[in-house]
Amino acid sequence: MKKLALFVIIVLIFGTISPSLTNHAYAQNDPNILLRIATQADKQIVNQLNGVYGDQIPNNIKILYDKGYLAVKSLDQSLSKDDIEKAKQDFLLAMNSFMQISRIMAQSSEKVVVVTVSDKSNRNLTSEIDRLEKYVKTLEIISKKYNTDVESDFIKIHDLIQELRIQINNGYVTYDDLINEIKIILDSIKNDILESAIKQKSDFIKRFFDRLLDRVDKQLTKAQDDNVDQIQIDKATALILEIKELLSKNQINSAKVVYSELKELMKNIGYSIRIT
Amino acid sequence: MISLIEPIQSKKSLGDDGILFVRNDSIFDTMVKTTFLIASMIIVAAMLPIQSSFSSPRDLDLIIYQDGSTHVSTEIDVDPFLTDYELNLFGSAIDNLVVVGDNEFLLDVDVIDNSALIQTFGLSVLTIEYDIHDLVSKQGKLWTFSLDSPSDFTLLLPKNSAIVGMTNFPIDMEIINDQNQLTLSSGKTEIDYFFSTTNPISDTKTETDYFLYVIVGGIIVIILIGIIIFVRNRQKNLNPIEQIQINQKNNILDIETIFKLKPDLREDDKELVKFIFNNQGEALESELRKKFLQPRTTMWRAVKRLEREGVIEIEKKDLQNLVKLRKNMEGEE
Repeated sequence: MKKLALFVIIVLIFGTISPSLTNHAYAQNDPNILLRIATQADKQIVNQLNGVYGDQIPNNIKILYDKGYLAVKSLDQSLSKDDIEKAKQDFLLAMNSFMQISRIMAQSSEKVVVVTVSDKSNRNLTSEIDRLEKYVKTLEIISKKYNTDVESDFIKIHDLIQELRIQINNGYVTYDDLINEIKIILDSIKNDILESAIKQKSDFIKRFFDRLLDRVDKQLTKAQDDNVDQIQIDKATALILEIKELLSKNQINSAKVVYSELKELMKNIGYSIRIT
Repeated sequence: MISLIEPIQSKKSLGDDGILFVRNDSIFDTMVKTTFLIASMIIVAAMLPIQSSFSSPRDLDLIIYQDGSTHVSTEIDVDPFLTDYELNLFGSAIDNLVVVGDNEFLLDVDVIDNSALIQTFGLSVLTIEYDIHDLVSKQGKLWTFSLDSPSDFTLLLPKNSAIVGMTNFPIDMEIINDQNQLTLSSGKTEIDYFFSTTNPISDTKTETDYFLYVIVGGIIVIILIGIIIFVRNRQKNLNPIEQIQINQKNNILDIETIFKLKPDLREDDKELVKFIFNNQGEALESELRKKFLQPRTTMWRAVKRLEREGVIEIEKKDLQNLVKLRKNMEGEE
């Protein structure tokens, strides 16, 4: 029996620790990717430097580039020697040098622009449609789990997206109307889904509160045994009844408010509802 | 003199008969002591809450589009005893937000600035998807992605993007539909990229390795084929010599050699020689009689004839005549 207990404990320990060990091992996966990224960055920087400065590269950039280039070489050597820690240092040094160069080059051209939806200058319609299409697909998957009659709406959206792509390829500029039309249909679909889920959701929420209130009830019984102030217990009981009544009237949000009050009360008398 | 090294099998563990007897219980007690037991329990107890901690993303996947907008897709464990969950978004400029619970319901969400209040009502897992415009900035031709991630995440870079700077180590990298996908660890990450025509990052190292393997493999195959051909040719060329050598080892000359050396042998004698040769160079006279169905005297004469010719020699074995092919017939000549 003793052996069995010890065996179970050892198994538990290894079972608990082993996933984290696996993650660490995964983190060391294929260090050669460092060299691939650094080499590519090196080539890209050389292209950029040739394009911008030609043969007259400023001295500060030249120093930075040499630093990065040597770090890439050292990275290659470190990897061939299986010195991963050194390789990591080399990688960071190289990428940091290239990053500084690219930022110096970028600074000389334009100010920093954070890409936002409203920023029309940076607007890329293909990206916008890609994102929209992804959103449509997500809603389409969700809608299939509900009894909603939105299939025709999705067909229309897909047609509009197709039309949009054609317009972009042809260089037309009337896409804003089409995008707005798609967005209106999508909002309508989303509302349909939410409405059709109300009944199921309401049942789900009621079951959640039933489970929770049952636990609170048991805690109140225990509190009574522990000689907790009866006034507080009665108050909590009244709140439970109020929540149940609100739920029966489908007033979920009001029930939530009262539940917060009950939670606070239980906390004050030393009983947390968060029973895990 | 006292030995300083105590043998593992001490005399105590030997029985009366001197037989080595090891009790499993004592080994177990020695190896796993009570302290170890308590420590194990503490470790297990300490790790349970860590494992069941909430609000940490299980998965976090990001896709950067050409315009720098980013699609965020994440799965989060939440406390099933709460009615709401407040999610910290990676920025305030978001759209196309969808939150689904583990019951597959589309959930109500209120977004205020950088946070989204989600009504969970006992759900334990949330799947969240949204597009965000705060993670990528642009300066000139240089694009910079920055994120302080609470967990490891994957990042799919746009097509034709070339990384020129990084502040974090990639855990992994793969190419999906001509796009680089990096797996990055939690914490602050900044990635600078340009758009170029030379991407995605080719798996040059792997290709080189593969090419190297092909070259090495090819060389090995060529060497093997060469060795086989060489050995075969050698066997072909050296076969007669080797045969003679083998026969010489056994004190027997090759049959052709014998006949070349003794061209005047009678045909019936040649048949005898062939038989003896095939019988590992020796045969009893009685065996020859039986084989060639010859009378004793006729066979005796034939054997004597071959002995005179110096082809064979006769030895006595168990009161019988053992006929053996002679060696070094050239010397005799």
